[in-house]
Amino acid sequence: MRRILRYVAGRLVLTIPMIFVLLSLVFLVLRVMPGDPVSAMLGEHAPAAYLQEKKHALGLDKPIGAQYLDYLGQILRGDLGRSMIFEEPVAQPIFEKLPATLELALFSLALCLAIGIPLGVRAARRRRTGHDFGIRLYANVVYCIPVFWMGLMLQMVFGVFLGVFPIAGRTGSRIIVSDFDTTGLYVIDTIIHGDIAALGDVLFHLALPAVTLGVTLSGIFVRLTRANMLDVLKSDFVLASRARGVPEGKVVYGHALKNALIPIVTMLGLQFSALLAGAILTETTFSWPGMGRLLLERIYLRDYPVVQGVIIVYALLVTVVSLIVDLLYAVIDPRVKL
Amino acid sequence: MKRVLVTLLVIASVLAISSCGGKGSGGTLVYGTTDKVTQMDPASAYDQHTWELFNNIDESLLTYTPGTSEIVPGLAESYTVNDKGDEYTFKLRKGLKFTDGTAFTADSVKWTIDRAAALKGDPSWLVTQFVKEVQVVDPLTVKFVLTGPTAFFPSVMAGNPPYYPLSPSVYPVDKIISNPSELKGGQLVGLGPYKVTSFKRDEEVVLEANPAYYGAKPKYKKVIIRYFADATTMRLALEKGDIDMVYKSLNPSDIKDLSSNPKITTNTLPGPFIRFLCFENSQSVFKTKALRQAVTALINRPEINDKVYLGQNAPLYSMVPQGMIYASEDFKTAYGDANVAKAESLLKAAGYSAKKPLAFDLWYTPTHYGDTEVNLAEVMKSELEKTPLVKVTIKSAEWATYKQQFNHKQMAAYFLGWYPDYVDPDDYTAAFAQTDASAGEGIFFSNKEWDAAFVKEEQSADPKIRAEIFAKIQKDWTDEVPCAPIFQGTLHVLTKKSITGVKIGAPLIFRYDTLEPAK
Repeated sequence: MRRILRYVAGRLVLTIPMIFVLLSLVFLVLRVMPGDPVSAMLGEHAPAAYLQEKKHALGLDKPIGAQYLDYLGQILRGDLGRSMIFEEPVAQPIFEKLPATLELALFSLALCLAIGIPLGVRAARRRRTGHDFGIRLYANVVYCIPVFWMGLMLQMVFGVFLGVFPIAGRTGSRIIVSDFDTTGLYVIDTIIHGDIAALGDVLFHLALPAVTLGVTLSGIFVRLTRANMLDVLKSDFVLASRARGVPEGKVVYGHALKNALIPIVTMLGLQFSALLAGAILTETTFSWPGMGRLLLERIYLRDYPVVQGVIIVYALLVTVVSLIVDLLYAVIDPRVKL
Repeated sequence: MKRVLVTLLVIASVLAISSCGGKGSGGTLVYGTTDKVTQMDPASAYDQHTWELFNNIDESLLTYTPGTSEIVPGLAESYTVNDKGDEYTFKLRKGLKFTDGTAFTADSVKWTIDRAAALKGDPSWLVTQFVKEVQVVDPLTVKFVLTGPTAFFPSVMAGNPPYYPLSPSVYPVDKIISNPSELKGGQLVGLGPYKVTSFKRDEEVVLEANPAYYGAKPKYKKVIIRYFADATTMRLALEKGDIDMVYKSLNPSDIKDLSSNPKITTNTLPGPFIRFLCFENSQSVFKTKALRQAVTALINRPEINDKVYLGQNAPLYSMVPQGMIYASEDFKTAYGDANVAKAESLLKAAGYSAKKPLAFDLWYTPTHYGDTEVNLAEVMKSELEKTPLVKVTIKSAEWATYKQQFNHKQMAAYFLGWYPDYVDPDDYTAAFAQTDASAGEGIFFSNKEWDAAFVKEEQSADPKIRAEIFAKIQKDWTDEVPCAPIFQGTLHVLTKKSITGVKIGAPLIFRYDTLEPAK
C-alpha cells in the first residue's frame, strides 16, 4: 500500500512540470495572438484614456515577462485569477461548466467501451467471417468520420427527420434546472431528487452527444480489442480451458479478455485527451454548455485567465485519468509492480 | 439478444413518456435566443440582451411606452427642468419596494448613480458624461445636476440600465458583480414587472412576475429564457414547439422559411440598428475624400438587402435611421445606388485607371454580426468591382483582433454596426464624426466645424435649432463621407400563433409584460 501511495505521490509531483510547460506555452501563444481582452470587451466608444486605464488595471500594459511572473506567482498561491471580461473568479465558470463536460465524457466513454470491446471480441472470435469484415468496416468508418460531422448527421437523422431525440442543450426547454441542480451532474441530481420526468429528459438530451463521441472513439477500441483477442485466443491457457470444458463465454470474457485488457486500458488513458478535444466540437454542435464551449468562447474574447484556467483543468483531468489507468494495470494483472 | 432489445425498448418508452412530463405548464412562456448574458450588474453590463433582462426586472425614473419612443413617468411620478436645462428634479412614486423588501427612496437613486460613476464600468460614461451630481431633496424627491444643458437627457435616463435604481442592501457598493450568486441573498432584486428566480449562465434564466410591481400585472407569470449556441438549432426548437418565442438572432433564410409556417407569427418591427462601411480617414488611401465618395457611389444597397438579407432589412441613405426625428435620405439624392459613372469619374480624376486600379482590403468580422457577414463582404466586393478601376481583396478577423486593428488604423475599409445608446440623432452622428468618438470607431475623422455643431445641438432644447443642425450635418455627410450608410436593421420576433403583444420600439426595449396569450 505504501508503495502505491509513493507511486501516486511521485506521479502527482511529475504533473507540476507538465502543467508549468503547458501554462507557459498557452500564456505565450495567447499574448502573441493579435487582439486583447480590453479591446474585445469595451464598446467602440470607450475613450483611449479609459482603454489605457483598464489595461493598466488588468496588468496588460506591463511587459510580457512581468505579466508571466505575476501569473506564475498567482498560480503558486492557488489563485486562478479573475476573468478579464466578466470580472468573476476564473474558478466560477469552470466549476459551472465542468460537470456538463464530465457527464458527457463519462457517458461517451462508457458507450465507447460498451460498443468497442464486445464488437472487438466478436470480430476476433469470428475471424475472417462476414461478422469480422462488417465489424472491421464499421471500425474503420467511424474512426475516419470527423466528430462534428457525425454530430450533425445524428442531429439531422434522429433529431430532425425522425424527431426522436432532442438536438440541443442538456434539458428540455420547459424543465427548470434550478429545481434539481445540486452537483451539476444532472443524471445524478435528478435521481437524488427523485424527479423521474427530469431524469428521462436529461437522458434523452444526453443521448445524441454521447453517441456522437462514443461511436467516433469506439472504432479504435474495436480494432485494438480484436487484435489483442486474436493473440490471446491462440494461447495455451485458452486451449486448456476449452479442453477442460469451461463454457465458451467464460473462456472468452472471463479469461481471454482479461488478458487482452492491458493495451485496451492504456489506450483508454490516451484516448481521454482525444475525448476532451472531441467534446469541444460536440459541445458546440449540440449547444452543450460545457468546458469546450467555454474555452472556445473565451478564446474569441481573449479572456486569458479563463483560457489558462480551462487548460489547467484539462491537464489535471488527463493526469488523473492516466494515473487511474496506471493503477488499473496492477488490478488487472497482479504481476505488474508499480 | 431479444431480451436485451425488449428491455431497451421498454426503458426508452418509459423515458420518452416521462420526459414529456414537464411540458405545457400554464402561464409560462419559453423564449429562445442566441444572445448571452454578460455581467448581471447595471453598472457594468453594456450589451443588448443583458439590458433586456434589466428592462424587465427593473425600471428607470422615466420609461418608454412599450413599442414607442414616447417617454412617460416610470418610477418617478413627474419631473421638472430648470430654465437652463441642466437640472432635472424628479418626484418619486410613494410606497414602492424592491423585491427584497427594501423601500425605494431618493437615497437609493443617488446611491445607484454614485455607485455607477465610481465603479467605472463600461457604460459608466452614460452617467459621467451627463450627470455632475445627484442631490437628495427629500425622501421622495431627487435632483440630477447635469454637466451642462442636455436636451435629450430624459432619453438617456429612460433606456439605460446604469440609471435603474438598485437596492443598496443587496448590491455591494465597491464591486461589480457578475453573477447573482455574488449578491446578498443570492438573487437579483429590482422594481420591474418581473424578478429573477433562477440564473444559470448560458443555460437558463427564469423570471417570475413581481407581485409588488406598481404597474399592470404581466400576463405570463413565468418566462423561461433558453440560450442556444446556434441559430439553426433554435429554429428547430421553435418548429418543434419546444420554445414559444425566438428573438435574436435567426438567419435570414430561417426567418423566410418560418414566415410561411402557419403555426408561427413573424413580428417584423423597425429597428434602430444600422450597418455602415467605415473608412480610415487619416492615413489610409481613403484620407482622400474623392476615393471615399467613389466607393460610396458604387454601393448598391437594395442589392445587398435582397441578396444577403433576403429583403428583410431596409436600405439606409443617412446615418440617422428612417423613422427617427430629423432623418433625411441625402445619400439617395447625392449618389443613388450603383452609380458607376460617378465613381469612375471621381476615380479617373484621382489618377486611377483600369491598369492602375484603386486596390484596397475590405475587412469583415465573421461572427460578431452573425453568419451573413461573409456574404455581405462578397456582395460588396462584387458591387465595388463593377468598375475595372477598383480592385478589392476581402479579409477577415475575429472581433478582438478586428477591433484592435481598426483602433490602430490598420484597416482602410471595414464594416461596423450600431445599436443606439440613447434614442437621438446625436447618437448616430456625433458617435462617428465627432473627433474623439470617431477615433473610437477607427474612422479618425476630424472637423472643427462639425465638433462645434455637435456641442450646439447637444445643448439646445430648441427643436428648430436641432433640426437645422442635423439637416446640415446629414447633407455635409454626403460630401465628407467619414463612413457610408448601408442598411437599417429590422427586428424579427417569431412567436407561436398563440402569442400576441410583441412591442419593441426605437429604444430597443423589449418588455415581456406586454406579451399575452391570444384570446
